Amino acid sequence: MKVTRRDLLIGSAGAVAGLALTPVPWKLLNDVSIWTQNFPWIPQPAYGPVETKYSACTLCESGCGIRVRMAEKFPVGVAGVRSHPLTKGALCPLAFAAHQLNWHPRRLREVRHAGRAASWAEAQAAFQKACGEGPIAIVDGRPGRAVSSVFEAFTRKHNGSYQAVLSAESQALAPYADWSGVPVASLGYDLENARTIVSFGAPVLDGWGTPGRFTQLWSERAAGAADPQLRLIQIEPSLSRSAARAWRWVRVREGIEAQLAAGLARVLLEERLVTQPGPMPRLSLAEAAAQTGLAPEAIRDLSHTMMENRPVVVIAADGNPAIAALNVLLGAVATPGGIVRKRGEVQPHVPDDPVPESIRAMLVDSTVPWEFAAQANAEVFRFAAWDGGGDRAGWLLPAPGFLEELTDVPTSPTSALPTYAVAQNLVALPIGVQSAAQFLVKIDPTMPAVEKVIHARCGEIFRSRQGSVYGEHPIAATKVDSAQHLEEQLRKGAVWMGEPPSPGKFRCELKEWPMENRVAPATSWATAWVPPVFPALATKLYQESNLREPPAERRG
Amino acid sequence: MSARYGFVIDLDRCTGCGACMMACAAENNVPPAPARATPRTGLTPMLVRKVSNGIEGTARREAFIPIACMHCGNETPCVGVCPQQAVEVDKATGIVMQMPQRCLGCRYCMTACPYHARYFNWWDPAWPVGMEKSLNPGVAVRMRGVVEKCNLCPARLHSAKEKAAAAGKKEIDPADYLPACAEACPTGAILFGNLADKNDPVFSAAHSSDAFRLLARLGTEPKVYYQSKQAWVKALAERDSDRATEAQHA
Amino acid sequence: MTGRRNLLIFGIGMGLAIVTGWTAFPRALYVRREQPLEFHHKTHSEKSGLTQCDSCHVLGSDGEFGGIPGLVTCAGCHAEKVGTSKSEATLVDGYIKPSRETPWLVYSRQPANVWFSHAIHTRRAGLACKDCHGTMGESDQPRIYEQNRISGYSRDIWGHSISRLGRAPHDGMTMSDCEDCHRRRNVEVGCLGCHK
Repeated sequence: MKVTRRDLLIGSAGAVAGLALTPVPWKLLNDVSIWTQNFPWIPQPAYGPVETKYSACTLCESGCGIRVRMAEKFPVGVAGVRSHPLTKGALCPLAFAAHQLNWHPRRLREVRHAGRAASWAEAQAAFQKACGEGPIAIVDGRPGRAVSSVFEAFTRKHNGSYQAVLSAESQALAPYADWSGVPVASLGYDLENARTIVSFGAPVLDGWGTPGRFTQLWSERAAGAADPQLRLIQIEPSLSRSAARAWRWVRVREGIEAQLAAGLARVLLEERLVTQPGPMPRLSLAEAAAQTGLAPEAIRDLSHTMMENRPVVVIAADGNPAIAALNVLLGAVATPGGIVRKRGEVQPHVPDDPVPESIRAMLVDSTVPWEFAAQANAEVFRFAAWDGGGDRAGWLLPAPGFLEELTDVPTSPTSALPTYAVAQNLVALPIGVQSAAQFLVKIDPTMPAVEKVIHARCGEIFRSRQGSVYGEHPIAATKVDSAQHLEEQLRKGAVWMGEPPSPGKFRCELKEWPMENRVAPATSWATAWVPPVFPALATKLYQESNLREPPAERRG
Repeated sequence: MSARYGFVIDLDRCTGCGACMMACAAENNVPPAPARATPRTGLTPMLVRKVSNGIEGTARREAFIPIACMHCGNETPCVGVCPQQAVEVDKATGIVMQMPQRCLGCRYCMTACPYHARYFNWWDPAWPVGMEKSLNPGVAVRMRGVVEKCNLCPARLHSAKEKAAAAGKKEIDPADYLPACAEACPTGAILFGNLADKNDPVFSAAHSSDAFRLLARLGTEPKVYYQSKQAWVKALAERDSDRATEAQHA
Repeated sequence: MTGRRNLLIFGIGMGLAIVTGWTAFPRALYVRREQPLEFHHKTHSEKSGLTQCDSCHVLGSDGEFGGIPGLVTCAGCHAEKVGTSKSEATLVDGYIKPSRETPWLVYSRQPANVWFSHAIHTRRAGLACKDCHGTMGESDQPRIYEQNRISGYSRDIWGHSISRLGRAPHDGMTMSDCEDCHRRRNVEVGCLGCHK
């Protein structure tokens, strides 16, 4: 019997019928549908238990306490810490995606020199050569850290000058430092005791000072109330977030802060609204009105309003001395509610050394803003964890990223109380990445190690017997049994906070009314500092919604 | 004893910072936008919208409204239209649970939702190389072609349940369950709690005279309340919002 | 004549399909994979005196389940070789000394969108480990790991029997198995009660 095509077809039909009676079609359907839910190109999270650890955010000088969930050696989530005495659990928007920054496409992982790949050995040799040849400078974007003392020790020993780049908040305190001789790091704002706060363009509710500190104070005492306990007056050309939520928005022209401060001072002095005599500004009220865009009556009104609910304090967006002078006039210096001196020894910012005319080389720490312009003709050794863009001559050296290096958090500039925290590194340092401090220690092994400086500072705090340690619950420092124990607590995420300031203790001498005006920095973007790169998820805020403007294109 | 989890969001406290949006995206493994995403095609399970009183000059007032799924309690629109039964109202918690695994991507629910609170995965999620190591293990990653929305951070509810079980308790400790947005808010504008519990602060806030709900006239009984002392903000509650009437960023 | 012949051929086709479908298919669907090293539960419980599953498969105080123990647990006794087996040598030299986690193949691994809480099922529901995992803890030889070539999951999830008939209570961990037990015990949970 021949086997025909027909037989084949009939046989196949039988096979199909038979298959229906086997698990084949049903199991295949089941398995294929499971396969379609597990496409290999869809990324999967880590598998396994999650641990919770505590540290401090290292993106800006605020050093907010963070609770980090860790899986398989990497952070998988960042949240605030409710028991933190300054932040009370708040974080800036960018912190929530900070744990993803270490894989940002612009993360630096290799040494680059004039656009080409190079090695650490070459960079070290070049820097050592530069140290031998002429004066060097080390630029620190976050003075007061343990690392800063390594920089300072190096420049003292190796023919160098130490330069600090201050944040806008620190710059705003600089005039008071000049007039009183008190270091900037020791000054702060006693906002908790103020009843009227006048902000000259400082984004107090959107990226000023430590996140959470003022926003929570304002939320408790002012939000939504027609006649609040805490009056926020925001002076700004446009309706910023702070202005939109303020008790009063005073709309002025751009760049006229000094003129408005002068006009207000005039009214306060002429109408004897202030008790302390002060130098009279040279600007008349009419001139101030013309330049600021406010009617003279409006300026008068504003000065009366400011004096209605005292203590009153004025906050500048930058180091504008006219606004600082206004505070002196208002009696808001060295009094509750105003500019105060933090109690106790605060890690001082090492004073800037005078800058020589020509510098042979400049080592720029990763904390310095990306836009910082190095002195021309100096060989630049730029440490950075992320490439902020723009042309780069000189050396680009890959620095530790988020939570990759042990560092400490000195007091936030705006705080009235001294604080100290340790940002424990929770992530292993990637190969090929090195911090500026490690770099300098390799060149000169006599330099102090960061761990030792932190250890010494914990010892000093312990011996002061002041303040409290805020872990899960606050403990008075007097109840901590050893410096070792204090350090352990800090390394596990606790924060030390000192005592509130005592009134008086310093004076500002104002000989004449400062007329210098400074251009306010560009509007903040959720934070006063501008990161070199934004976390990937920031697209939610500007590309996938209209909530914020896209970050400005970098020059750099 | 079933709960009805919901929010009371104080619009006088919201500064429009966007921390809630970032925290939500990070907690729920929402991918960053590809270059061609726009506000229409983006994925923002929590979205803060800027609104104004429409006046220019010194009389201008602006406010910010955080919008996520309202977890409608009555005739939930998205549940009624889903051909896949991929969304369901949970009896025990009142959460409107969206199951991306069941979704076939017809987007009927997106049309049905009066609050535009549902988002479609137009593209496969992609993170820069290595960044997937930072994903939250408590939340499954979705693929393209499915709809997603706020589920009230079920990963956190799961952790609270496990913790209670390990301690031998039947009910979770309310302090252990806090969605990412409420935890992140730096002014405390977002209050989360159990609307069915008279002792929960959210209950009294939801029943205060300043509290209102968006599009309450539709009768969907949303579990997200807003509160404000400003009349112009309350007046927005019954207006349809579309992106054209929204205040553009200054 | 032709009709009967056709029927015969039909029958042969059908018969072949049925036989293949029930024998060759299940064998072909799964591929046998080797664990990185042979682990004997029985030896370990005898030698160490640890007879409870949760001595090594730890349930944390916050409810998190540790799963298959990591290197830290094994290194508690095996930081240096304590025996002579080849498996132990692989463990100590290949994994403990270089600090590499052992890439165990997990029999009960569920898809990423599944949330299963050991804390709730063991503490609140009072289930014993063997109710779902069988007598794995008493095994004196390593279990064979068979992986489904299409879905990628262990054969333990579907259950050993391809037809799922006549299977032991703990054989099979599909969604319908979870649903069956929940129905039997009258425990209602919504979608998010088991999904992430």
